[in-house]
Amino acid sequence: MQGNVIDYILRKMITIIGISKTYGKVKALDSLTLEIKQGEIFGLLGPNGAGKTTTVKILTTLTKPDSGKCFIDGKDVIGQPQDIKKIIGVVPQENNLERELTVYENLLIYGMLHNVSEIKRKIDLILKTMELTEKRETVVNKLSGGLQRRVLLARALLSEPKVLFLDEPSIGLDPHIRRELWQLIRKIKIEGRTVLLTTHYIEEAEALCDRVGILSHGSLIALGSPSELKKQIGEYVVEFIDKDGSLISEICHSREEAYEIAKRRNDGVTIRRSNLEDVFVKLTGERIIQTRINQ
Amino acid sequence: MTSWYPIFLKEMLHFRRKLLRMGYIFSAMIAPIIYLVTFGLGLGKTVRLAEGGDYLTFLLPGLVAMSSMNNSYSWVASALNLSRLYFKTFQVYIQSPIKPSSIMIGEVLAGMVKGLFASSLIIAVGFTVPSGFSINLIFLITLLLNCFMFASLGVITGMITKSHEDTATYSNFFIMPMAFFSGTFFSLDRIPLIFKPLIYIMPLTHTNIVIRKTHFDLEAVISLGVIIFYCLLFFILGSRLIKGYNE
Repeated sequence: MQGNVIDYILRKMITIIGISKTYGKVKALDSLTLEIKQGEIFGLLGPNGAGKTTTVKILTTLTKPDSGKCFIDGKDVIGQPQDIKKIIGVVPQENNLERELTVYENLLIYGMLHNVSEIKRKIDLILKTMELTEKRETVVNKLSGGLQRRVLLARALLSEPKVLFLDEPSIGLDPHIRRELWQLIRKIKIEGRTVLLTTHYIEEAEALCDRVGILSHGSLIALGSPSELKKQIGEYVVEFIDKDGSLISEICHSREEAYEIAKRRNDGVTIRRSNLEDVFVKLTGERIIQTRINQ
Repeated sequence: MTSWYPIFLKEMLHFRRKLLRMGYIFSAMIAPIIYLVTFGLGLGKTVRLAEGGDYLTFLLPGLVAMSSMNNSYSWVASALNLSRLYFKTFQVYIQSPIKPSSIMIGEVLAGMVKGLFASSLIIAVGFTVPSGFSINLIFLITLLLNCFMFASLGVITGMITKSHEDTATYSNFFIMPMAFFSGTFFSLDRIPLIFKPLIYIMPLTHTNIVIRKTHFDLEAVISLGVIIFYCLLFFILGSRLIKGYNE
């Protein structure tokens, strides 16, 4: 019995072995290797252009890699795409709902495409779970951005997928709507589904993910739980403004060390807990958000 | 339930909404009616056909063929291009466990409905003007095949174009010349011998030949064979393009 539980916990739902993908002269993925366990929320974190969406596109059969292999639930993504499509749900970065159709029509067509049994009952159930029942007959175009995201999530869950891909699920949403969406994603975890989430929001990765992989220029540069990654670089950060007006951050391994550094400065010193942004900066010398703005 | 049905249903839901906006019906009718008035009721009085009969009776089947071509083709090409490149809704099909041929069938059937709808408007107008215009079984079979053929060609265009502007370019280079030079407005006998091979490559030429027939003769059988060949060719090519979809 105990052995079975351990097997279940350790079971790999997604296995990526050395996948590479090049678009023209740009190397989107460079020999990426990764394993994601069954039932975990795994976050791929990195700035735009790091290779997050390419990874999702390959795993969801939209894009073929130049080299490498990947498996979902033991099935070859490249060799058995039809089997893969039966067990995945996708919330894409760009809203791809039928905007001139109603919420119900969108779900109905998706359910029929995925051969969902008892489709009308399941649509009613998912609308209730996602608190969308009142919007059932509303045309998607007339919904707010947050509600459209919720419909995307409802659509992806309608076929009861084993693996759910969320590509930048809260991009462009207001902070309070983002938090509502996080609550819904946590519900999905309770149902035992495996979730692969891509984000460039540090807060989102820390709030939702059991483990995080940090991508930079198509390569995985760090892997572990948010707390493990933060521990590796140091759990405290001392921040101050230098003579040139630049923000300086110093990472420390203990609170005492942080106080020592702070004492040496006169004023304007802040001590805070480190976050995944600090991990990224430490490893790459770049900032996730800044890189995005520059792009 | 057949796996092409959700794709067809989605297109029909969009189509129903467009029909409710009355502007669509008028836009589908406007070009053929302009041709009908200009060439048929206006210039037509001065046209003498080698095979005899009045020009309007000759013109109306050609306008039906042209209208079915334009609507089947451009609806599918444009909708597929937009859903693939801009709205990204085509991704939903690709990520669904259905065969590429099911996507093809759904799109083509939807294109056929749109083509048949536009054609039925012209047919209705055709019966209201004084002419010897009539429809028979050969007419209906040809019309269905024409819609199938150009809806399939629409899928090919929708899958290969790299921007929405490209759709208009393809239309200007292939569809528009076909509309004018394939025997819609004048008899193929009037075309200089040197251009005839080019004219007979065009699929609409064969539709225009068969759609005007009252009985199957050798010419009709050959042209029908060519239409069926193009139907199969375009359908297979379209299915292959969907199967090979890669972002």
